[in-house]
Amino acid sequence: MIVETPHAAHAVRSHEPWRSRAVVVGLVGPAVVYILALLAPALAILLVNSVYHFTGTAVQPILTFEAYHRFFADPYYGNVITQEIRLAVVTTALCVVIGYPTAYAIAKIRRPVWVITAYILIFSPLLTSTIVRAYGWVIILARRGLVNWLLAQLHVTTGPVLLVYNITGVTIALVHVLLPFTVFPILSVLLRLDPALREAAADLGANRLQAFLRVTWPLSFPGLYAAAQLTFVLAMNAYVTPQLLGGGRVQVLPLLIYQNISDLNWPLAAVEAIALIALVWGIILSSNLLFRRSIAIAEGRSG
Amino acid sequence: MAVPAGREVRVHPAVELRHVTKWFGKVQAVRGVTLQIEGNEFFSLLGPSGCGKTTILRMVGGFERPTEGEVFLQGHRVNDIPPYRRDTNLIFQHLALFPHLDVFDNIAFGLRMRRLDRETIRQKVSRALELVDLAGLDSRRIHQLSGGQRQRVAIARALVNEPAVLLLDEPLGSLDLRLRMQMQIELKEIQHRVGTTFIYVTHDQAEALTMSDRIAVMRDGQVEQVGTGRDVYERPRTRFVATFLGDSNLFEGRITAMDGDRVQVQTADLTVVAPAQPGVAPGATVSLCVRPERMRALHAVGAAAGAEQYENTSAVRVCNVTFKGSVIEYRLATASGHPLMMQAHSDGSPIFSQDEALTVGWRKDDCVVLMG
Repeated sequence: MIVETPHAAHAVRSHEPWRSRAVVVGLVGPAVVYILALLAPALAILLVNSVYHFTGTAVQPILTFEAYHRFFADPYYGNVITQEIRLAVVTTALCVVIGYPTAYAIAKIRRPVWVITAYILIFSPLLTSTIVRAYGWVIILARRGLVNWLLAQLHVTTGPVLLVYNITGVTIALVHVLLPFTVFPILSVLLRLDPALREAAADLGANRLQAFLRVTWPLSFPGLYAAAQLTFVLAMNAYVTPQLLGGGRVQVLPLLIYQNISDLNWPLAAVEAIALIALVWGIILSSNLLFRRSIAIAEGRSG
Repeated sequence: MAVPAGREVRVHPAVELRHVTKWFGKVQAVRGVTLQIEGNEFFSLLGPSGCGKTTILRMVGGFERPTEGEVFLQGHRVNDIPPYRRDTNLIFQHLALFPHLDVFDNIAFGLRMRRLDRETIRQKVSRALELVDLAGLDSRRIHQLSGGQRQRVAIARALVNEPAVLLLDEPLGSLDLRLRMQMQIELKEIQHRVGTTFIYVTHDQAEALTMSDRIAVMRDGQVEQVGTGRDVYERPRTRFVATFLGDSNLFEGRITAMDGDRVQVQTADLTVVAPAQPGVAPGATVSLCVRPERMRALHAVGAAAGAEQYENTSAVRVCNVTFKGSVIEYRLATASGHPLMMQAHSDGSPIFSQDEALTVGWRKDDCVVLMG
């Protein structure tokens, strides 16, 4: 028996000579420099401002932790964070629940005309400004809006349902805004799946559901996961939608940051910004740890 | 004599296709194919790409539905049976191993679908791993395997289910030549050991000849000829089969005389004696095929020895000599310029050189009269 060495292509990929590593650095470099050049000073300014003193009308460069103290001592901020996380989690969950079947269906379309139609439908929200869309939703969801009119016509409800200027309205609009960002990563993973894998599962006795659960689902999980992370981050940082559809009744950190900056309270705004960054990073990193194994397995690396 | 009802023993072919036709939109991939494949047979579908061989395989596996005609597995009509309820397993062209599962779980996939208990699964998988010489690699991931090892995992994953028919869709295509030849021998041995019907799709005539009990040569969605490797190579029925399997010297001419078991064919510049064949009468236009290795160099012009036993001879000039190790290939031309090929063994006898004049001869029975 001939002794075979492990697959050559794989060996080449993991032990690249230095030259191709230089190419990679060269290609990634500009983006990294650009991001770091903007991000690092911005973060520095944030950190510096967060430890300054606010007199009530102006910022004084005196070292103090009073902004931090206020942020962590006042239960108001805890409530805002809880509400924001709940909003982002519910939005992400809805996006995934709607987005995965959508992506799955689009990936199955054969006729090019229908593929393009589906793409346009899914990505059309991105072609309109968020503000226009938000006002659109206000009109649709308002007390005398389209939805309430329909519900009344169909005698489903007696009085108007409050769908706007509360967390429900914000969630509905956010799902609409963010759905393309959920569909796309899932779709790209599903399109890359070799159709022969599903056929192989069928050949080995798996019916459609079993083939999905044992092959398509685990292999598309990385896409789903990336989609969920992206959606979550965008939902956490959403500003326009909570502002316009929340009508002041839905408070999230981006809104507070803006308000404090308007009030010239830069230290508090800086602390809130730092809290938002830490929160998003913390959740992303801890979920990465949690799902590390299933992602690695799905990508064909050892778990 | 009457056979009591219910005691009739009828052995059905493992696979049977009756007048099977497949259309993909406006393209007809398979045109009225009828085939019978017996149990324990290593059967190859051989043909150029696009000849419909893979479509036939996929119809047997249940991945395509025949537009017309019927497919039977062991006597049961399976046109409407989905792949997951058929007693067949397919080894895909690119193997389609599950990248998220290790070797063990890949092979166990089919057994788990059948809800066998853990211990049975463990035993069957380890036997399958031994069969394909991969014992001990259970927990490897697919990307950690070499091309040949992946091949074997695919074979084990299919055979562990003990299918009635194993379908193979050019599974060796991506291997380098040496490994490929080794796997050909191994596949043949495995087939011998497990005694399952193998249907093997390939466009490589050498591969088909190496492995198959019988070969169906396909062209444009139709079967041109079915037979053992020796049959189709030595007795090709059509011009296509003669040229697709190996090299051929083709002559076209008219039958001028017929005498018992022999006919005389007049080509542009030669008179060739060929075996008579039913349905071939004087005046008919026919094609003749002579394999290059049946051509013999009788002597260089001037000498004369052993020419008597060859019914056919021709004076030729050497146009090109290719030394291929165990054989030497000559491209020759007759006086009028008709090209001929001759293959000689490297047996130590002198090698002719370019532009040398010589006489080649071949026997009557080296000629095959082609039908189409």
